[in-house]
Amino acid sequence: MSDRRGFLKSSGLALAAGAAGVAAGTSGCATAAAPAVSSGRMADLPKAKGPRLVVVGGGTSGLTIAKYAKKEFPKFDVVLVEKRDMYSSCFTSNLWYAGLITLENLANHSFLDAAVNNHYVYFNATVTGLDRAGKVLATNEGDIKYDYLVIAPGISYDYDKIGVTDVDTRTALRQIYPGGFVSPTEHVTLNRKIREFEGGVFIQTVPSGNYRCLPAPYERACLIASLIKHNKIKGKVVILDANPEVTIKAKGFHAAFDELYKGILEYKPGVAVKGVDVAKRTIETDFDSYQFDDAAIYPNVRASTLIEQLGLLAPSTKSNQKEANIDTRFYNIIGDTSVYVTGDSRPHPYSKSANTSNTEAHYVAKVLAARAQGKEIAWSTPETICYSVVNAFPMQAISVKAHYVYDAGKDAITGFSPDTKVFDNRDAAKGQATLEWAKGLYRDMFNA
Amino acid sequence: MDRRCFTQWCSGAVLAQGFASWAAPIEDYASIPLVHPDGAPIKASEVGTDEAMVFAYPLKGIPCYLINLGDREPTTQTLTSPDDGDYTNPPGVGPKGNLVAFVAICTHQLSYPTPVASYLRYAAGGSELGGGPGRIVCCAHGSVYDPAQGAARISGPTQNPLMPVRLSHDTATDQLSATGAVGRKFFERFFQNYKGELIERFGPGVYRQEVQGSTVTVPLSTYSRQVPAC
Repeated sequence: MSDRRGFLKSSGLALAAGAAGVAAGTSGCATAAAPAVSSGRMADLPKAKGPRLVVVGGGTSGLTIAKYAKKEFPKFDVVLVEKRDMYSSCFTSNLWYAGLITLENLANHSFLDAAVNNHYVYFNATVTGLDRAGKVLATNEGDIKYDYLVIAPGISYDYDKIGVTDVDTRTALRQIYPGGFVSPTEHVTLNRKIREFEGGVFIQTVPSGNYRCLPAPYERACLIASLIKHNKIKGKVVILDANPEVTIKAKGFHAAFDELYKGILEYKPGVAVKGVDVAKRTIETDFDSYQFDDAAIYPNVRASTLIEQLGLLAPSTKSNQKEANIDTRFYNIIGDTSVYVTGDSRPHPYSKSANTSNTEAHYVAKVLAARAQGKEIAWSTPETICYSVVNAFPMQAISVKAHYVYDAGKDAITGFSPDTKVFDNRDAAKGQATLEWAKGLYRDMFNA
Repeated sequence: MDRRCFTQWCSGAVLAQGFASWAAPIEDYASIPLVHPDGAPIKASEVGTDEAMVFAYPLKGIPCYLINLGDREPTTQTLTSPDDGDYTNPPGVGPKGNLVAFVAICTHQLSYPTPVASYLRYAAGGSELGGGPGRIVCCAHGSVYDPAQGAARISGPTQNPLMPVRLSHDTATDQLSATGAVGRKFFERFFQNYKGELIERFGPGVYRQEVQGSTVTVPLSTYSRQVPAC
């Protein structure tokens, strides 16, 4: 069973990121005005048949809100605006690299089917501007008037925070050593790199702050190590972790490092990346340089640059990693109950993970339905259910199930609820459950 | 049999429970004997307490669990399905009144047992996710149900109970049959979610057909190659 105290201690980093890190905040863009860009024409959409809810972003949060807001309040006329024309999930992408699933598992899910099954419109367009006074969203395919707007654009990388400030190096890192936590094309590249790794040193970095999917870099390192071991490759994985300890499920990960991958996986805590020399394949830190043959360099994380472009960033006193300026409980932009930001652009210290976004979206759908009918509902916690596969041969996983506590006095999320459990003992049952966990999420987002 | 004739509604059985007088009834489907793979009838005395047995009912693509609660006595209560409305779960049957049955589809995100794997199982002896003994646990997201209380939700992300299946027991022969269920709209949602998979397994349209004659009933560990003990 879980050691909850151990979990709270070890994973407190994530929760601290939203509050304690504030003192070191650097963002000063909170009050930037949104550009009222108009495309000069209306989008080719049917006339709204009820209050129009526009959802920007077809990831876990946006897809779930589009579906469930319509279910909660059928009068909503829902339009999902998504710039991609092909879905592929970030969650469980690590499993693909180890050959445990196929790309079809990640990508065989249609935006069109999701829209038809759940009675909304999928609009394939890129947001270009927002006029909050006029309640108009501008896209490259025309303007859309809204009554309610939810923006769920996910994350962007922040290379400045790992000391990569020149555009040439940033561009090279994005293309040659992608983090693998934003776009599907990064996953395809990482899959190739991992499958083609024939020996030497593969470095996986872990950023500070509240980054997307806390256990994922450790999980990925374990799976690469598992492949190295299975294929008898003369190589090793080195984890350079900016944090002083594994940020979540520490006991389970350490057990895997020590018991499964001795000599194959090196874990180096408290080693923050301070620069990268791409040509020399060297990572600079405070005390050492690390040479690599290949790498997945995971920079710090911030809200999607779209949030900044639309002038919706929180002041640095509220988020030190450029996240959205929203109400803690109800997700609306402070002072504007028509516009909401959900998913990984939120400033909450929640785990930036799929299950959290999915369950949060169920709740926000209820908030929107209530407000459209002149009501309010009580806050409820999202749920973080997260499996991490630590061994590929055979597939074994560890997991966590967490809820959160809201402190009304502080108007902040202050910790995990007492029912939070970590399941640190790796086993095949949890390995198999990982696959069904993901399938359930796809069903919840795409099916009726 | 006219399955649209809700006989139990008229029979007073629901009213006799003392509550939920306006709850919808269990829908009648054909009475189908539960049998072994060789066709021999399943007898109440043969149903063990260690794991659930699986049978298809009332439609060929709908898996159900037959559970022997052992010493636990099942209760009835008003329960709610977002798809099919309120109902009162049927009482247990058998010599000890401890045999119950449910549709084996998690009402959270519709995980169900297949010949490959079952993530939903009756954890007779307790489990990591489900806690205490005698609960039905879904490994995918941790929903937990109590089969002694009509498979009502105990914990986890599901908001609703498993759908009920009504059994009958012939005291003369000790044989078991399935006679009704709730879930017509729920079944439709399940089919929409898994249509491709069900066509592949059963054939086009076959999964929607009503079970006829008898229904083969086997232990879950026989039915599914993998049953994760989460």
